[in-house]
Amino acid sequence: MGRYIVHRLALALLTLVGVTVVIFLLIRLIPGDPARIIAGLLASDDEVRRLRVDLGLTHPLHVQYLIFFTGLLHGNLGISAATRAPVLEEIALRLRPTVLLAVSSIAVATLMGLAAGIVSATRRYSILDYVAMTLAVLGVSIPVFWLGLMLMLLFAVYLHWLPAGGYGTPASFILPTIALAAFSMGIIARITRSSLLETLSQDYVRTARAKGVPRHGVVLRHALKNALIPVLTVIGLQFGTLLGGAVLTETTFAWPGMGRLLVNSILSRDYPVIQGIVLTFAAMFAVVNLLIDLLYAYVDPRIHYG
Amino acid sequence: MDKRGARFGTIVALVAVVFSLRSAPAGAQAVPKQLRIAVGIDADTLDPAGQTTTTVANMVDYFFETLVDMDYAKNEVGPRLATQWQTSRDGLTYTFQLRQGVTFHDGTPMTAAAVKSTFDRLLDPKTKVPLRGALLAGIKTVDVVDDTTVRFSMSQPNPLLLRNLTYTTTAIISPAALARAGDRFGLAPVGAGTGPYTFKEWRRGESILVERTPTYWGKKPSFEEVLFQVVPDAGTRETMVLAGNVHLAMLPPAPDIKNLRKNPRVTLVEAATDRVIFLAMNNQWGPFKDARVRQAMNYAINKKALLTSILFDLGTVEASACPAMMFGHSPMQEGGWPYDPAKAKQLLAEAGYRDGFDVEFLAPKGRYIQDFEFAQGAAAQLRNVKIRATVSTMDWPTYVATITQPVDRSRTQLFILGWAWVVLDCDGVLFGQFHSSQQPPSGLASAFYKSEKVDDLLVKARTTVDVAQRATLYKDAQTQIWNDAPWVFLWSQKWYVATVKNLEGVHITPIEKWDAIYATWK
Repeated sequence: MGRYIVHRLALALLTLVGVTVVIFLLIRLIPGDPARIIAGLLASDDEVRRLRVDLGLTHPLHVQYLIFFTGLLHGNLGISAATRAPVLEEIALRLRPTVLLAVSSIAVATLMGLAAGIVSATRRYSILDYVAMTLAVLGVSIPVFWLGLMLMLLFAVYLHWLPAGGYGTPASFILPTIALAAFSMGIIARITRSSLLETLSQDYVRTARAKGVPRHGVVLRHALKNALIPVLTVIGLQFGTLLGGAVLTETTFAWPGMGRLLVNSILSRDYPVIQGIVLTFAAMFAVVNLLIDLLYAYVDPRIHYG
Repeated sequence: MDKRGARFGTIVALVAVVFSLRSAPAGAQAVPKQLRIAVGIDADTLDPAGQTTTTVANMVDYFFETLVDMDYAKNEVGPRLATQWQTSRDGLTYTFQLRQGVTFHDGTPMTAAAVKSTFDRLLDPKTKVPLRGALLAGIKTVDVVDDTTVRFSMSQPNPLLLRNLTYTTTAIISPAALARAGDRFGLAPVGAGTGPYTFKEWRRGESILVERTPTYWGKKPSFEEVLFQVVPDAGTRETMVLAGNVHLAMLPPAPDIKNLRKNPRVTLVEAATDRVIFLAMNNQWGPFKDARVRQAMNYAINKKALLTSILFDLGTVEASACPAMMFGHSPMQEGGWPYDPAKAKQLLAEAGYRDGFDVEFLAPKGRYIQDFEFAQGAAAQLRNVKIRATVSTMDWPTYVATITQPVDRSRTQLFILGWAWVVLDCDGVLFGQFHSSQQPPSGLASAFYKSEKVDDLLVKARTTVDVAQRATLYKDAQTQIWNDAPWVFLWSQKWYVATVKNLEGVHITPIEKWDAIYATWK
């Protein structure tokens, strides 16, 4: 197990080095001059040229990459071209709102999704099944910005119960959490339902029922645990995505998270910040994936790593 | 009532209950301690010298002040940190008397030495000052005469200097606070200003908080604190002001403007600005080399119709290349070039384009009011005179990179651009957009228009001190430009904010800022 983790981490590190190269080249391939965008249209050519030198954009590409990579080895992601603050600081400021929202959303989505999936599978073709699966489809297919605006109109404009946007108070978490959880909840519910249905039709379940195990015991102890592997995979992928910052949700709810920072940085061609964020996302995704893989072994003792 | 009817009745009743729970809108309340303003973008830097964006400068204006102030009602320069000033006859020396007894928020006195150090820093090439070329041209040195007098010596006259000194970039900074903040000055300019509010905290990506300055030299504002909340989505800003979560929201979605004007719960404050919107034609490309074709383009587009039906009247058709409120503006034709498709066809035929031509039409999306939308409308009107325009868009950095290619590499044919200047003088738009020295890559005169006569007039106008003479020079330049038609002249945009009904005394300035420092609560 220990060796497996070390092996996986080493692989992840290698992936990250690959990511640095790809993102470094990719953002420089899209047109747009960071110095002109940051200095603005009214800046004179002299100022733009001076800024270009300041930002290190006059070096040849491989030199720019070496500067970036050497900094990285020293734990330095560089300085934001727009705010002149260290990239690490910019990311640290946005990490908390993003992680908190991702955790609360995945928690809500998992609870609701599992519950809906279990109910649908055990009461197949009942009205509850239809309601749950309709909600799941709606959750997956309603665009988050529209759902967000509708929630705001109802709970902020008409009812005055919750703030429309902004970050800080516990109340400010409720609407973005619901909006963001809807999609993951739908997917988790559907995958739980189909996976559980498949397990419930297996022989050992019939045996368990035949020997008189109570219905909820059969479902929760015998069937669910075996049905959980694909569900875990989906939860892991969803969580990794949520940690990557939910651009639309963050924009709709004025949430100061990573997704918005990334989009703003792309729109201002703030190379150091883009590189830093993408690298952070990749690292978080790798860690979440590793954790999920380890969870498989816990859920299914037949799986073991070594 | 059958079962289904009963069920439906229950749902209606539920909805009714939910809606009856809505509390009264935030009316008849005590004055809030904190005024909350939803802004569309976060700041990049709070250092006055580094300003590039009007909205950010707008927030910086709460805690920093300039030597002189712009009185937009009278369209003239008035006192602020300087109480009086004298200009030498040759326009090469300006002497300012400073207001006495003003202290920075860090407690140090605002003296001639502080003014000198502010300008020394602005003139130092090591300081990042994007608007240096635009605002500080011609300043040679700034010297202390005595504790409350400074003298600006010019290498050449700059008739714009006084107006330039009203802009945020030139605000006076406490040298002590600057030294204390070091590299982090732009992120936290603590104690560095003299304004009616004092900088408190910037939570990046989230908000900027300022609080009333207890020792302010001038009139005290009504609200103890002002919080600028970063809300990038226009729909959310509108929702927040409707919900009463914020008291003022800049630029709610344009398509909602008509409803907001009628909504009894909010006030829509709107005003004309100096941002001209136009279709730039690449004057060095194919058909557009011929002035008759460019004139035909102007006849072919119905500006008033586009404004009314696509921009919800958030603009005014311009009568010249230099918008109405600028110094030097001279109306060429009220209502702009008339809409006359027949005349357009005739001119096209004369130029040898009886069957029209194909043209690539670039439009940004979301940069100017309804930009991509009105591009479709304009393209449809062009099709009526057989000019077949294909509209396409790209993200803003790519757009800028595309329109700033030098002429031999430029692939532009027709594109939308909006141009606004931070001070109200024709120089900003005319020199920047029509002087041939400003063609890309050195500037943004990306229509590649070239007229020796206009070049000559514009250079004279920016170095002449005599006011009447300058006005004449600009009139001549505008006449020539209007007739050469390097652009399809469209309109100047409005700028607008929505506020809760209780907030009064909010104004919009012609340079796209809100003016709410002295707003009150009723």
